[in-house]
Amino acid sequence: MNEKHEQLIADYLKGNLDEQGKQKIEELLAKGEIDFIDFRAMEQLYDELKMVPVPEPGPQQSSRFYEMLEKQKQLSALSITERIAVFFKKGIAQLTMPRLAYACLLLIAGGFIGVQFGNNDEEMEQLSTQMQEMRQMMMISMLEGPSTTDRLKAVHISSQITSADDQAVSALLFTLNNDPSINVRVQAIEALKRWGKDEYVRKGLINAIAKQESPIVIIELADAMIELELKNSAKEFKQLLEERELEYNVKQKLESSIAALS
Amino acid sequence: MMKVKQGDLDKLGLLFERYNRPLFSFFYRMCKESQLSEDLVQSVFERMLKYRSTYSGNGAFTTWMFSIARNAHIDHYRKQKRRAESDEELDEERVGTAPPEYAERDGKIRRKEILEQALDQLDDDKKEVIVLSRYEGLKYKEIAKIQDSTEGAVKVKVFRAIKELRDIVTTLSEEYSDE
Repeated sequence: MNEKHEQLIADYLKGNLDEQGKQKIEELLAKGEIDFIDFRAMEQLYDELKMVPVPEPGPQQSSRFYEMLEKQKQLSALSITERIAVFFKKGIAQLTMPRLAYACLLLIAGGFIGVQFGNNDEEMEQLSTQMQEMRQMMMISMLEGPSTTDRLKAVHISSQITSADDQAVSALLFTLNNDPSINVRVQAIEALKRWGKDEYVRKGLINAIAKQESPIVIIELADAMIELELKNSAKEFKQLLEERELEYNVKQKLESSIAALS
Repeated sequence: MMKVKQGDLDKLGLLFERYNRPLFSFFYRMCKESQLSEDLVQSVFERMLKYRSTYSGNGAFTTWMFSIARNAHIDHYRKQKRRAESDEELDEERVGTAPPEYAERDGKIRRKEILEQALDQLDDDKKEVIVLSRYEGLKYKEIAKIQDSTEGAVKVKVFRAIKELRDIVTTLSEEYSDE
């Protein structure tokens, strides 16, 4: 088969051919210049390729990206001398609050385990609950800190908390509604989604819609509402569309989300 | 992307939300490893930031993005060449060894698995044109730009890749039906 025919078939498979092109293919098939069985087998295979699935990326992909973006933003805001200083301080900086906090946490946990090793299941359960409480306290305290990177890390710590109490959820909702960093807000939505069955979280997420200015956060909230099937949120989105001058892609996203939720 | 280039780095978040899944899908179809695909997606966005000044705005953004993705994949492949070669040997050993429960699966699942295996057996170069064209929906002209080739050459490559894939699928189907 010559290259012209190969190109024609490639165009046919992609759906690029107009009527004249399709006619040309029919003629070549009729004349036997393109093998009919080969052609149909390729056509069928091309169609079937869509069956091969791809998994979804994990949630950590998003966390890693926003953490990297935040660091880059901070770096971009610095002068050259400050950047050099950052470079030299990097090693020391890695020993800052989150790592020290983790170290303390591990030390205390080690101590508990050391003292109570061999005791019964009830005590181990108690220890596990205490660990959860400490994680929660650490998360809340870091969420209130001035560093965006630390606040992002605090949101990530929430992924290690199996069941959050109202205090932790309130802290994340407060972050979602008030944090100056868009990236921290987006990550707060991701974190809250994991407790999406909790009525308090569901209400909090719906109430957060009207408080958002950033297109990224609004889009992320729209995705969360669909994922959690929060139909009541459609009303909030409609209101947002009526009251605000939104960017074109945000408008489109909200309209499709409203349709999906209705 | 123009806004990112001008210093509004937050806009990269919008691009991430829109394109992280297509990029993940591209890498996953090329390498079949979720963790590696996520690492490569991260690497693409890091490169976008690093080389944002080189973005000209001429042509589609996706063409520029997939060019970066392709380079990231090639760089990784170069670094891991030795390991990849041993993986290929393993793959070769795996060919034709159907899992024991294979006969019990229904036809559609079997066909899907054969297609997956067949795609894995294609050279990266051929697999890439199929992934970009069939799965990522890029036009032949865009693929030509990414691969620094011509539209005609891409069409020929797609045709030959599909043809080879069909041959592999036929062989695998026969092997499995013999068992």
